[in-house]
Amino acid sequence: MTGQIAIIGAGPSGCFLAQALLKAQPDLRVDLIDRLPVPYGLVRYGVAADHQGTKGVTRQFARLFERQGARFFGNVSIGSDIGLEDLRGAYDAVVLAAGLSADRRLEIPGSDLPGVHGAGKLTRALYEHPEAEALPELGARPLIVGNGNVAIDLLRLLAKSPEELEGSDLGQGPTDWLAASGIEEITITGRSPAAAAKFDTVMIKELGKLADVSIRVIDAGESDDPDAQKKLAALNALEGGAGARRITFRFGLTPVAVEGSDRAAAVRFSTAQGEETLACTSVLTAIGFDTPGDLPRDALLREERDGGLAEGLYATGWFRRGPRGTIPDNRADAGALAERILGALSPDPGKVGAGILAGLDEITDYDGWCRIDSAETANPPPGRCRAKITTREGMLGLARQEDTQ
Amino acid sequence: MNIQVLYGTETGNAEMLAEDIVAELEADHTVAAVNLADFDPSEFDTGTLYLMVCSTYGDGELPASAQPFAEKMAAAKPDLTGVHFGIFGMGDREYDETFNGGPATLAALMTAAGATQLGERIAHDASGAEMAEDLAFPWAEDIVAMAGDALGQAA
Repeated sequence: MTGQIAIIGAGPSGCFLAQALLKAQPDLRVDLIDRLPVPYGLVRYGVAADHQGTKGVTRQFARLFERQGARFFGNVSIGSDIGLEDLRGAYDAVVLAAGLSADRRLEIPGSDLPGVHGAGKLTRALYEHPEAEALPELGARPLIVGNGNVAIDLLRLLAKSPEELEGSDLGQGPTDWLAASGIEEITITGRSPAAAAKFDTVMIKELGKLADVSIRVIDAGESDDPDAQKKLAALNALEGGAGARRITFRFGLTPVAVEGSDRAAAVRFSTAQGEETLACTSVLTAIGFDTPGDLPRDALLREERDGGLAEGLYATGWFRRGPRGTIPDNRADAGALAERILGALSPDPGKVGAGILAGLDEITDYDGWCRIDSAETANPPPGRCRAKITTREGMLGLARQEDTQ
Repeated sequence: MNIQVLYGTETGNAEMLAEDIVAELEADHTVAAVNLADFDPSEFDTGTLYLMVCSTYGDGELPASAQPFAEKMAAAKPDLTGVHFGIFGMGDREYDETFNGGPATLAALMTAAGATQLGERIAHDASGAEMAEDLAFPWAEDIVAMAGDALGQAA
């Protein structure tokens, strides 16, 4: 035994860290612990249902458990099932890779009106997260605040026709919801000028393939910067189309209030020229993510330096760096952090490791996930590559069938 | 045969495939996987077959680990006459316009320096139904067979 490391969160940043640790030191004991009964976090519940290529990264993660000796402990909540300090006592090092799953709130008057929805909350419902709320009524003219990649994902899914979702893993409920949405027009707004917008150019180009939309790009402006010019060119190339759903890109709009008597009916913005109010039937906020509050993130990160928080305690991925950077950006972080953890590791053979979890009920393991995965992919409906098990009970039921075949 | 599997990766998928190709070939050949980030163009050798595995990132660009290699190629301008390589691209047809832009750039860098490409540039689609290795293993075998003749002549 050369040391025991617990990683909290089996999403991409946790898995990439486990990969880097085990590559550097193959006989290390690495345990990935997740709140959900299933692994892969953001890849399963955050990467868009129609971006299956991006989800292909799970083939690397499967290898962690199948060949590299990592173990998965699902359905374990840090805080309620076991304390962080208990875990630190049981392992030589603990890494927080819990991500950021809560929507950053739009802190303006009216943002608590019915009809204002966070993008994370909405995409969790679309991707059938077991704790998701019901999909809401968006009305004919939703307005999106924010234009990063999460906002563009949402825009694209809302604008797609049923045929364009072929090959995805969008579930039956969300598929029916989209088909019945009655959306006529989507307005997407950003605070900065288009040249400084947060979306990636490739995400904008992808919108050019949408079959049934007509797109307007208003005041995209100009730039001297070559990267920004690419962005602007991609945006301007979207302009036009004769499809039924209208999409309007707006820039330089800072939201100041959500207006409406009993539900969101408009957003008032400040602009370079003064103020402007855009009517809508719902407001979708995609302005970043925050901790859901299950771990005291601010306090934990107070002394953070290069991923180290305290002796034997580290953080990686979005939990450490905030809601910025793509999946591979977090992979780049993992190599450096693994080196740092291994450099400081002084294994204590007296530590009980996963023994600390022994008293907990209904822990799922990797074999349990494989049974869930097989059940989901064995008979997907036509045009779908997977039909997710949508409830925690359903997942636990399948995971439990151990040794009964 | 001496074979190096040079990979350019961003997410790690190309690295995994490179390692799988090594495992597939190592019974019959002397073969190793090398990250393009750690490879210097001065190391190219006419007696070695180079199997290149490369993804695409962002807007049709080279993946992070291939970028330092491209910079070294631009700075050193090596003469790669007599160097043989095959190239396997990993991409995602969700991003049609820029599909396999990374490997196309890499192949162009090699041939512009005088290297000889064996076989066609193969492109795997991450959004397709096929596994990358199901395309890559037969591709590697084909290139190795072609190289048997080509490297023999060069020696």
